[in-house]
Amino acid sequence: MRKNTTQKIGIYFFLVCTLILFLGPIVWIFALSIRPPESAFQYPPTLIFKPTLDAFHHVFVSPGIQLRQLFNSIIISLGAVVINLPLSFLAAYALSRFPIKRKGLIMGWYLGLLMAPPVVFLIPYFILMNNIGLSGTHLSIILVLQLITIPFSVWLLKSFIDDIPLEIEEAAQIDGAGTWKILRSITFPLCGPGIIVTTMFAFVFAWNNAIFPIVLSVQKTATIQIGAFSYFGASGVQWSVIGAIAVAAMVVPMVIFLVLDKFVVRGLTFGSVKG
Amino acid sequence: MLAPSFILLFALTLYPLIFAVRNAFFYWNLQTSPTPQMFVGLDNFKNAFTFTPFMASLRNTLLIAFIGIIIEITIGMFIALALSAKMPYLTFVRALLIMPTTIAPIIVGFMFRYMYWDVTGLIPWIAKTLHIPEPGAGYLGSTGTALPAILLADIWQWTPFFAIVLYAAIVSVDSEMIEAARVDGAGGIRVVWSIILPTIKPVMVVIVLLQFMKLFNIFDLVYVLTRGGPGDSTMTLSYSLFQQGLVNFNIGVAAAMTIMIVAILNILVFIYTKFVMKGAKLS
Repeated sequence: MRKNTTQKIGIYFFLVCTLILFLGPIVWIFALSIRPPESAFQYPPTLIFKPTLDAFHHVFVSPGIQLRQLFNSIIISLGAVVINLPLSFLAAYALSRFPIKRKGLIMGWYLGLLMAPPVVFLIPYFILMNNIGLSGTHLSIILVLQLITIPFSVWLLKSFIDDIPLEIEEAAQIDGAGTWKILRSITFPLCGPGIIVTTMFAFVFAWNNAIFPIVLSVQKTATIQIGAFSYFGASGVQWSVIGAIAVAAMVVPMVIFLVLDKFVVRGLTFGSVKG
Repeated sequence: MLAPSFILLFALTLYPLIFAVRNAFFYWNLQTSPTPQMFVGLDNFKNAFTFTPFMASLRNTLLIAFIGIIIEITIGMFIALALSAKMPYLTFVRALLIMPTTIAPIIVGFMFRYMYWDVTGLIPWIAKTLHIPEPGAGYLGSTGTALPAILLADIWQWTPFFAIVLYAAIVSVDSEMIEAARVDGAGGIRVVWSIILPTIKPVMVVIVLLQFMKLFNIFDLVYVLTRGGPGDSTMTLSYSLFQQGLVNFNIGVAAAMTIMIVAILNILVFIYTKFVMKGAKLS
């Protein structure tokens, strides 16, 4: 489509406004995290202030309450993908390659789990974790997170395995290789990028989840996502500190998404749209 | 090979299902007893309507879901079309635009709570500068504005998602077909309506379903921004279920609500797949 100059300017203008609207709030929060406390109360709101790292110091160094929460977030998200990957890979391979009865129904059920309201699961699990003595552990959150990481990873991985031509596996089969050998020495390596992409997205899924730790965590297993709640005190809200926590929590998924730029559409649609 | 994940997921889903179906018929307050206390028949279902804001929650949830989807897909479509004009720097714009979607919804909640703050919040200040009268109790504290305020945060986060997925779909539309239509004298709107929209319909059908569910389950934003208030004006199904089950510990009523919510969800998905997704294939 050829565009004349006026149209081009119009499109650029529209997109610049779009960027300001959608990135502005993020810039505003980054600014909040390096604002001296008195600047947060200045009216009208301003972007001119002397930047300080006090809030980050307070959050991660001294007293550094959120440092532990940052570790908890890492342990829980890593734990979730470590359990999730082998299970999902095998399931995705089977769903992609074998003539399984009611395949559509199984895939539909997996998708249904992703779309169901998490609170529905959380009430019974809250009680169960109390009864079996797992309440307040990282493991309780990691296990229940599998309800979303496994279905997500199966969907995304299946789309990657579907893309690998069957001929390679068939050739190996003719040469006498068994299913496990094919899986180990052909499909798994060929699927490398898919596995890395899926793992990283699953990590973000687990990282960004707040409702599971809200319900299942105790003070020592709380994640960085919910760390800011303790700063809405009766004596006033510590906005700069909340800004620092928010920035720490959002940098991780932002970097992962920038790295995975090419796969963002695929990841966000569970592999059903190949961008 | 399917078995390990299948069994784990089956066990993980079967337990809450049995839990809900059984306890929906029992009176059970977790604060007074660790086990169900008394068989009460259908009382929990009745109580869900009389003692919890179930109808208000349903209404708010559906409002958020339908209005949210319509606004997000419309603005997203405009952005996607602008991005698909073959001009320099647009891939850069696209890469940056995804940022809101990467952030955890709960963090988006904190961001907007700061921006709605009635002392020096950015949004009240902009509104004041534009001479828009501010509601008495602030945007999050007033009945009329609290729900739209939550919706705005969601629209901010998820419109880029629509823009980027729709953009990916638009680029894959056959450009020769568009050229041919141009030669035949079709204008821009005509090209979008008769060529681009029909070609990307399968993608739209999928992402609308995914996003509808996300909006239907909205919890994090409500939890940070309003906790369902003021009154019941921002109660959603997920939030009022959370309140019954995990704040008031009325497990029986929560189980009854769970059954009704899952039933509503299934009916909506059934209607959608039956009438909208007819032709489109997922996966």
